[in-house]
Amino acid sequence: MGRAIVITSGKGGVGKTTTTANLGTALAQLGHSVVLVDADIGLRNLDVVMGLENRIVYHVVDAIRGKCALQKALIKDRRLDNLWLLPASQTDDKDAVTPEDMKTLIMELKHGYDFVLIDCPAGIEQGFKNAIAGADEAVVVATPEVSSIRDADRVVGLLAAADVPARLIVNRISPHLVKRGDMLSQSDVIEILALEMLGAIPLDDQVIATTNKGVPAVLEGKSQAAREFVRIAKLLAGHEVPAPESVGFFKRIGRVLGLSASPA
Amino acid sequence: MWENIKTFFVGKPSREVAKGRLHLVLAHDRTGLDGGRLQEMREEIAKVIAKFVEIDAEAVEIQIETRNRETQLTVSSAIQPRNA
Repeated sequence: MGRAIVITSGKGGVGKTTTTANLGTALAQLGHSVVLVDADIGLRNLDVVMGLENRIVYHVVDAIRGKCALQKALIKDRRLDNLWLLPASQTDDKDAVTPEDMKTLIMELKHGYDFVLIDCPAGIEQGFKNAIAGADEAVVVATPEVSSIRDADRVVGLLAAADVPARLIVNRISPHLVKRGDMLSQSDVIEILALEMLGAIPLDDQVIATTNKGVPAVLEGKSQAAREFVRIAKLLAGHEVPAPESVGFFKRIGRVLGLSASPA
Repeated sequence: MWENIKTFFVGKPSREVAKGRLHLVLAHDRTGLDGGRLQEMREEIAKVIAKFVEIDAEAVEIQIETRNRETQLTVSSAIQPRNA
């Protein structure tokens, strides 16, 4: 029996879909079977972030209504052996699905896959309720900004009320802004939200570039953000994981002097 | 040292300002109390205290704060000395 993890945030635009795509891809790279479920009905995006938009025939609402078998709605990612996407419908609205529908669907998927990652829509209304209905646990994504943290706090409260244990990913941390005193640090965010931390993803140009191409950053491997996504995926899967890497002064000097092969 | 000098000249780092604002906003969000309701509560509490001791109702202070997902309500008031 697999685990269903919902990726949620309250606020839109903080990186839920990118996080879902990268964690799912990283888990598949680690050898787990993974299905990504786009629960953002009416505003689907996980398909484009994964680069699978041209292969959609059926979607989650078709599968729920029995218009097709569940397996037929799943798109296999050809880059990896064990990664699948269940796309959202673009034409229905959020009321097309009930929490009960989602519970049944996610349960069925959990029988066939090690991990079911659910990409939650922004907001805390019907779409959110649907997305968390079948989840065993949650990953809350927040950026180090007042608005994002405020919304994340709201979501943390709702998840607690629904008995869904939650852990935190801080996304788009910029170390030099933190150092300058102009950005909340990951420990500030943890202190405020009082949530267990999975990791912090640095703000990384590479993620923007690979997302443009419809390739999750972890497939291109080298960026700092990609390495952190892989570390978090290992943590989720229960592997032994080293502490988050921080780029130290000497390492950076080494890079400047060309002593290290890793990209700056 | 440098931080102190910087703070003296340019004020609090924006990171600290953000933290302070969040502590306050979240305390209100978590309790569902907005500014107006909080003032109402302050006035009601002041009335109750005034039944027992002499106070300056205007000087009653009310504050909500959150730490580790627990929200604390603090009411403070100076009590006037008893008239002999």
